Parts: sequence; C-alpha cells; structure tokens
Amino acid sequence: MSQTYQPKSWVGLQAYRFAPVLFFIGLIALWELICQVGKVPNYILPSPSAIIKAFFDVEFSRWMGHLWATLRVALMGFALSILIALPLSIGMIRSELMNRTLYPVLIVIQSTPVVAVAPLIIVLLGTDDPSRVLITCLITFFPLVVSATTGMLETPPEMIELSQSLRAPRYRETWQIRIPYAIPHIFSGLRVSITLAIIGAVVAEFVAAEEGLGYFIQFSTSFFKIPQAFAGLIFLAVTSLLLFKSVQWIQAWWFPWSLPKKK
Amino acid sequence: MKAALKLSLLAGLISSSSVMAADKVTFQLDWLPGGDKAPVYVGIQEGFFAEADLDVSIASGRGSTDALTKMATGQSDVGSSDIGALMAAKAQDGVPVVAIYPYFTQAPHAFFALKSSGIDSIEDLKGKKVATSPFTSSNAFLPLVLKENGLSEDDISLVKTDPGALGPMMITGNADAIIAWVTNTALFTTQAAEAGKEIVEMPWSSAGLSLYSSSLLASERFLSERPEVAERFVKAFAKSLEFTYAHPDKAGEAIHAMVPEVDAKIAAAQIKSITNLVYNDVTKADGFGVFTPERIQQTWEYVAAANELSEDALDPQTAVDFTYLAE
Repeated sequence: MSQTYQPKSWVGLQAYRFAPVLFFIGLIALWELICQVGKVPNYILPSPSAIIKAFFDVEFSRWMGHLWATLRVALMGFALSILIALPLSIGMIRSELMNRTLYPVLIVIQSTPVVAVAPLIIVLLGTDDPSRVLITCLITFFPLVVSATTGMLETPPEMIELSQSLRAPRYRETWQIRIPYAIPHIFSGLRVSITLAIIGAVVAEFVAAEEGLGYFIQFSTSFFKIPQAFAGLIFLAVTSLLLFKSVQWIQAWWFPWSLPKKK
Repeated sequence: MKAALKLSLLAGLISSSSVMAADKVTFQLDWLPGGDKAPVYVGIQEGFFAEADLDVSIASGRGSTDALTKMATGQSDVGSSDIGALMAAKAQDGVPVVAIYPYFTQAPHAFFALKSSGIDSIEDLKGKKVATSPFTSSNAFLPLVLKENGLSEDDISLVKTDPGALGPMMITGNADAIIAWVTNTALFTTQAAEAGKEIVEMPWSSAGLSLYSSSLLASERFLSERPEVAERFVKAFAKSLEFTYAHPDKAGEAIHAMVPEVDAKIAAAQIKSITNLVYNDVTKADGFGVFTPERIQQTWEYVAAANELSEDALDPQTAVDFTYLAE
C-alpha cells in the first residue's frame, strides 16, 4: 500500500513515516506511567524501566549463552521440518494413495498438544538435543506441509495439461511447474513455522534444559524475579521477530519474483 | 622381588588411570537449582566429589515424579526427590529407584499468610480461600494436615494456580493463605517486604505431619552395577550436606558459581531458613544420615493415606536401601 499513499504535506509524510515507532514508544511510556503513578509492584507488572534494569543486570555473555541454546534448537528443528515437510508434500501431491494414508496421521500429530507429549519424548529420547529438536519439529512441520501442498495444488490445471501433452516427465512437472507456483505458499508456511520453532524450543526447555531463554524465564519466575522474566520474554519476542524478518529477506533475495507485484 | 615390583607398578598404573578417568555420576535435581539444592553444587565446588574420584554432573528437574522417571529410565544415576513420591510410585508401578540417604527429615510443606490477615494457626483457615500450585506434593497431604487440626477440605476453598503466582496472590489479598514449601520462606519474605508487608509461616511439620521428605535416591541399576561408586558418592554427598548447612554463605557462592542466575545471597538465606528440615529433633534422636524403619513406616502410612492407597500396597522398607546410611 505504501506506494499508493501520497501524503499531501511534509507533516503528513513524517507522521506516516514515524507513526508505528511513535505509537510503540507511546505505549511503553503509558505502561511506565501506569506503573509509576499506580505504584504497581514489580511482581504484578514490572515497569519498562525495571525490565530494562533487569536486562542489564544479567551479563551479556549469559544472554548470548541462553540465546544460542534456544536458537540452535529452534533452527535445527526448523531445518529438520523443512527436510521432512517438502518431500512429504511432493509425495502426497503425486500419489493419491500416499495422500489418503498420511493425511489422517498428520492431522492426528498436529491435533496432539506438543506440550502434553513433550515429557514423554524426553523420557524416550533423553534430555539432550535430539528430543528438543524433535519437539520443535513436531510443532513446526504441519504448517509447512499444508502450505506446500496447497501451493502445489493451486498450479493452474492448464499448465499441468500442457506439460502432460508435451510428455514432460513427472519430475519436470514437479520441479518446473508445481514448486515455482507453490513458492509464495511455501514461504508463508515458513514464516509461520519459524515463529513456531521458537515456541517449540521453549516448550522443550520448559520440560528439560539447563540453558536457553525458555529455561531462563522459567528460572526467573521460580525465583519470583518477574522483571527478569519479562526481560527474557522480550528478548525472546525480538529474536522471533528477527527470524520472521530473515525469512522475508531470504524470499526477497532469492525469490523476488514470488513476492506480490508492486503497483 | 620382581613380582613385587610388577605389582607395585600395576597398582601405580591403576591408581593413576583412575585419577585420569574419575567415575562419572549424573545427579538429578527434582526442581530448578536453588538454595535447597545447594549440597551437590557444594560437593563439586569444594572438591568433595573430586577427592572421592567422582565426576558429578547435574541435571535440573521439573518435579518429584519427573526426577523419579529420569532415574528410573537411567538418564540419571542418583538424585534428590521426595521419598513420599517414591513410595507412591513404587506402590503403583514398582519403579526401580530406592532411597539411600535422608536429606529433609521433616516435611517442608507449610501454609503462608500475611500477618495483617489475622491468620496465625491452621484452625484460622476455616472458611478462607487458600491457593496452591497444581502439581505440588503438598496437595496430597493437605487433607491429612487439615484433619489433624480439626478441619476438612470442605472448610476451605482451594484454588490452584501457577507456583509463580502464589506469592503475589497472597500479598495482593487474592488469596487469604497459600500452600508452599518452607524453602520459599526467604523469597516470600522479600516479596512481601517490597509491598511493606510481613508474612507468617505455618509449617505442617509442627502441626502433626511428621515424616521424611526430600531424600537422596538412586536407580537400582546404578546401585547393582556400581555399588562401590555409590558408596563413595554417598560419603562425599554427606560431607557436602554438612558443609552446606555449616557454611551457608559459602554454599550460596558455590551454587552461584555454577548457576549464575542463582543469587548467592538469596541462596544463602534459603539455606539458613530451612536448616531445621535437615537438623531437627528427628536427627537429634536418631542421628544424622539415618533412616529408621519406624519412621519409614510412619512416612508410608501418611503417604498411603494421602494418595488413597491401601497400606499393604507396598512394604515401605523396600523403598530404602539401608546399606549406604551413616553408621
């Protein structure tokens, strides 16, 4: 929309440009004000200044340690679910039998709350990376399968008919027609999945971990250090946001043609 | 002569190789690190485990049953958990874990209330709103302690909430009293002080509930495969335990050194506030580091009643391996 909006005056232009930032700053200021004026104790709702202080009270190297622990699991789980989801959706598109067999199983897996299964996975696979990666993968792969399958199904039938009439082999139909059509869908799936990957890693850390942002938050609440828990939460949200953005950047960089046309 | 030389060489080789490869032991906590979990950290930091040629690593847990599961499945060798939870699990599933050394010889459960609420004994809770966390072992003992004090569960209105919310609920008056472990006393006191308030602690151990609680447990497999390692571990652990409660400030620093998120001062305050769970009338009468068969039986009777199990569901003496106790 940004290309169509033409503010009349300089003030309008500046307001348009900075509105999101100003609104955000305003919200934080309001939050701080409510906490200060209402004398809200830290253990109910910590003020932004208390959260900032708590953030800097923790050594930077500790933050990096926790961040890396969470990020590593989230990215490994995410990569694993891409490796599983894409071939699976190609298979399900190409074979009706596979589709009929697997789809119900996938739905069952997706409908099972991972939070409830996580402790069982830890018992089965141990308290190390494999179980954490599996938990993350379970939470992230379903949106990917759905988006990739939907994308490939939305290929215009005349394109498929054309390729069949030209006797193109199946792999060319998949790689040169279906997948390119599915790219925008795959990327929306990836965007959903990457934020879920962080949630998955945190769920895993809640069950068994000695490090990571989720563990850090749980730890802080167990010591009733609520501002510190909030600092961890915000750090986690920022990380999640950056990962989400990274997926967009990758799409813009490698698949610019798959983005919506700019007017 | 030659043979003696060979032997001494061999002995030297064995002892030096054992120095190089200390026996690895994984210790399972039943919750996140904190002052009450300090002994094992002290053992590592003060070198008590190293002296016993042990290489101890620590895994945090998420509750008594979680810790039991991890010991039962061999992910950890030894650990700390509630002996009551162990007895209940043994009665129901026969988990291959046994208690080998006592830690808390009194139950850590307690009611907390604000001083301003006017509640200062369990009888005062009649008709009040009491908050607890959903998975704490205290809940099972609640009916028993109420009964000992002439109340029933219908006399209070019980709400369940996240452990982290308990303190704030009490301080804001959302709950008249809360149920938590006395290990949290230091934390609740700090929290209440922030709001300019004071708290009262009503431990269940002085309200008729007298039983063993948190104990050193071990997987049966570890004990049968490496009994000699277990023996050295228990000795070093007992040493760490005594050191922790004799030097709470040093112990606080030891845990802070390994888990920087734990504040050394808060940990030390926690240790000081729970000394009477470790050293009390029971240890005075029975000796330190001892499980008596009579008190094990008594503990089981409470546990069976709390979990609605029949008393002959378990011979409680089988939940303990008495070989590693202090003489």
